[in-house]
Amino acid sequence: MKRILIIDTQAGNLFSLNAAIGRLGFETCILQQPNDEKFDGIVIPGQGRFGTVMSSIKSRGWPDYLKAAFEQSIPMLGICVGMQVFFEASDEDPDATGLSWFKGKVEALDFPKKPMVGWASLISKVWNESIVYFVNSYAIRESELSIAQTVYGEKFCAAIQSGSLTGVQFHPEKSGEVGSQMIKAALTETASTKIALTKIIGK
Amino acid sequence: MNNTKNCLLPRIVVCLDVDNGRVVKGTNFKQLRDMGDPVELAMAYEQQGADELVFLDISASNEKRPTALKLVTDIANHLSIPFTVGGGLKKLDDVKAFLDAGADKVALNTTAVLQPEIIDQTAKAYGSQCVVVAIDVNEEKDAHRLYINGGRKLIDRDFFSWTDEVASRGAGEILLTAMHKDGTGSGFDTALTKRISESVPVQVIASGGAKNEQHYLDAFNNGADACLAAGMFHSGDYTVGQVKQYLIDNGLSVRI
Repeated sequence: MKRILIIDTQAGNLFSLNAAIGRLGFETCILQQPNDEKFDGIVIPGQGRFGTVMSSIKSRGWPDYLKAAFEQSIPMLGICVGMQVFFEASDEDPDATGLSWFKGKVEALDFPKKPMVGWASLISKVWNESIVYFVNSYAIRESELSIAQTVYGEKFCAAIQSGSLTGVQFHPEKSGEVGSQMIKAALTETASTKIALTKIIGK
Repeated sequence: MNNTKNCLLPRIVVCLDVDNGRVVKGTNFKQLRDMGDPVELAMAYEQQGADELVFLDISASNEKRPTALKLVTDIANHLSIPFTVGGGLKKLDDVKAFLDAGADKVALNTTAVLQPEIIDQTAKAYGSQCVVVAIDVNEEKDAHRLYINGGRKLIDRDFFSWTDEVASRGAGEILLTAMHKDGTGSGFDTALTKRISESVPVQVIASGGAKNEQHYLDAFNNGADACLAAGMFHSGDYTVGQVKQYLIDNGLSVRI
């Protein structure tokens, strides 16, 4: 059975996420700090604000752990703020610095109503027009790693992919069967498949 | 796809009344073994295509609190769509307990009116997306009156300024129940929904009066971001899927 690590950033309950991964037939392990166990996949959950989540990640030694996992091509899924932390900074907490693996800043977007709450269709060559659940006031506007966009007031990046890492601005654990399949793909597809996919779609 | 067209879709929210761990105000689903089981019923609505669920009066009294919290965790472990809990949340600790137990959002009504700072506090601690402020309004002689305590107590407070205030305090959504429509089957109050939806910068969930699929189309065409109903689905007269099909047939995009 595949074992999936869920990083507990202590920014909200993990019941839904844990259950969603469990329903896929994976065993989950929730950790507040790294240990020596081997995992088949890693999830950075989507709760809390940028600054709080970043300080939790940094103070508990996760940056080096995540870098090593990425270099070993272990599948990783970052959800909402759990994706945003891989960028450089965020309007939500301007004093906080992100992991800065990728170029770009999380911005307060020009949404008609804030926060954006609800189901929205994607514009994506990977996921077509799949409908998923968004809850956010901030997002990455554009990224060269983008594999999906959506539009609410303006177009923004709904998902990214780089090597074994998938990042989603929406909440797949709240997005019904579609979301469940996205979690499964993110945590099982090998890095080489993903790189090939990224090349095909030319992003 | 047209880049300027918003991808955010209208939502259908189904409301379940829960007391002491059981669904009350009976439902009429023949396929369910136990129609009083909130988890089983919730999953049936998820299968029908409900976009979200609201569980009301789940927490009305302190004695029943442990049962209610266990139920919320049980629901979170089974549902893969968002859900809100409300009714009887009297202080920030109550709100925290239900969010920590697995609820995605809390609905605040009487408590928000009596202690409006709880909106700010919840939004600060958990984010605006967790805060649904439920507002009960009754249209009386050309005036819109604000009620609390489940619609039993009139409050001397301007209704329209209250809708503005909850948004500025950090509510993520407004659940707007038109008491003068509730139980009439004459449809949502589309004029009021439109007015609030256009003047207040948060999502508006219309509630009260729905009896058929046309009522949803009317509400969504008048600015409702979401529509909430209970009776017409619980009675088995309509499935959520049937209403959504009607909306699609009439040119709306919804999640199926």
